[in-house]
Amino acid sequence: MDFALTPEQQMIYDYGSKLAQSYDHKHWLEKARAHEFPREMWQRAAEDGFCGLMVPEEYGGGGLGLLEMALLLEGMADHGVPLLMYVVGPTMALGHISKHGSDQQKSRYLPDACAGKTLFCFAITEPTAGSNSMRINSVAKPDGNRFKLSGNKVFITGVDVCDYAVVVARTTPHDQVQRKTDGFTLFIVDLKAKGVDYHAIDMSIVAPEEQFTMFFDEVDLGPEDVIGEVGDGFNTLFDLLNPERVTVAALSCGIGRFAVNKAAEYASERVVFDGPIGAYQGVQHPLAVAKTQLEMASLMTRQAAWQYDNGEQAGPAANMAKYAAAEAGIMGVEASLQAHGGNGFTHEYGIYDLYSMVRLMRTAPINRELILNYIGERVLGMPRSY
Amino acid sequence: MKVLVAVKRVVDYNVKIRVKADQTGVDLNNVKMSMNPFDEIGVEEALRMKEAGSVEEIVAVSIGVQQCQETIRTALAMGADRGILVKTEQELEPLHVAKIMAALIAEEQPDVVILGKQAIDDDCNQTGQMLAALMDWPQGTFASKIELADGKANVTREVDGGLQTLTLDLPMVVTTDLRLNEPRYASLPNIMKAKKKPIDEKTPEELGVDTAPRLTTLKVEDPPARQAGVKVEDVADLVDKLRNEAGVI
Repeated sequence: MDFALTPEQQMIYDYGSKLAQSYDHKHWLEKARAHEFPREMWQRAAEDGFCGLMVPEEYGGGGLGLLEMALLLEGMADHGVPLLMYVVGPTMALGHISKHGSDQQKSRYLPDACAGKTLFCFAITEPTAGSNSMRINSVAKPDGNRFKLSGNKVFITGVDVCDYAVVVARTTPHDQVQRKTDGFTLFIVDLKAKGVDYHAIDMSIVAPEEQFTMFFDEVDLGPEDVIGEVGDGFNTLFDLLNPERVTVAALSCGIGRFAVNKAAEYASERVVFDGPIGAYQGVQHPLAVAKTQLEMASLMTRQAAWQYDNGEQAGPAANMAKYAAAEAGIMGVEASLQAHGGNGFTHEYGIYDLYSMVRLMRTAPINRELILNYIGERVLGMPRSY
Repeated sequence: MKVLVAVKRVVDYNVKIRVKADQTGVDLNNVKMSMNPFDEIGVEEALRMKEAGSVEEIVAVSIGVQQCQETIRTALAMGADRGILVKTEQELEPLHVAKIMAALIAEEQPDVVILGKQAIDDDCNQTGQMLAALMDWPQGTFASKIELADGKANVTREVDGGLQTLTLDLPMVVTTDLRLNEPRYASLPNIMKAKKKPIDEKTPEELGVDTAPRLTTLKVEDPPARQAGVKVEDVADLVDKLRNEAGVI
């Protein structure tokens, strides 16, 4: 079994780490505290070809897969620059349009998005449905061969900096379908279209990207806006949700590694009694445990990405990777905070600033409990609880 | 015109190095290795010459273990056209490297050879100068600006007390200083293209270079730990400490 990255994969990881040194953690933290999108950095990566990493070459992309995307994000997050926009835009939206969009959609949207001229977000979660995506109430009502989209979305990342959203809606309401997975359709929605409105949610998360509530009021959509088949959205939904889990796992591992590395450096130099505090096993072992958990989660993340790219069933590994990585990331930041003592809570050291985002990863995009349900029921074959 | 650019695989500049317990050298186990930053500047300069239309081909050379191929790949991903790996397990001294480069120059006939002014691992700062002497070529060391025109080059050098500009005939040897340029990152399309670019492998023996060591390393030690500083009350206190404690004035 060969665990080595190819030279190209290594260079993609290195690009992420270098980008995160040019636009470094301090820059990220300033943007994160101000909730300001790092557009210059985004543009730089786009011009170097990385926004379109998963887009086919004929549409201006790199023609690579989820594994390379996860490596890029790990490279960035390992050096203190985790960007959620990379999950929702280049991974989910562009990945999905590349895989399931029509030729017309691909030529219309992908080249500009690869060049960083347009940005995409992704909208599925709703206030009344929460984790139960079957119950979403955004309905795109058929109207001749067109649709009228109405409904609400919540906790949608980065809407204000985007031009388009990939929106999951029902073309048949959930109480009128035979199977609850029927009637889903995915649309590309222009955020400037009439009837689209959004407001920032006042979140207590330190991140450059803001979260939004979206409102759709009879938004006019046509067949040209449908990704894939009308009513068949559920069958391709996991081509969105598994990559989301994998890239969120990559970010979690990265945040954890960054925090643990900072702590190892700090504890190796900080002297309080005789010699550096890093020599105390009470300081050293929690960091060593977190490091081990992080590397295990990272391996699982890469496996899930590889399975996805190779057309294998990636659900179990993607879910386990997301669970393991969120827990390991939290453990890493927690151990780092404790090793830093009071300094960990200062703006100068910025360790506590990482906590809100890494803790979010236990809850979003799918919470820990639902992942454990999935593993219990789908992987271990145990009885369903709901 | 053809440019030969040397790229050395060194310990990454972010790594805090450790001396081996037996004091025979620096511990390279599990240490991230990268291209010498001054060589990255060299590759970038060659790329700018090519983009300006004055250079047709850029050949990246690395000398050392098999993994130096990764360093060449990085240069190819930045935009160099092909690579040459001179493979040896032996630890090389600047004179060996200069002789190997000279042998490659005889084969490749480049117009410009660019090297970093020094490598950040051993900080020798000798190879470029030795190579120019072996070739009997003009040398522009510590370059902060290079302009090519009419078979000549104007090279601005960072010297003590200011800048010096020399006009050099080609072919020439240039060594790069920090302010020459800011190297680009390899873009994704170029990373993918690098895969198809050829890397030739040679050995010092094939090039007829004797790499027997001329130097013996006796011992490698950490530099003495810096003592903590003190805060002085005022100028009088400073002068007093400099005169009576440090004994420097």
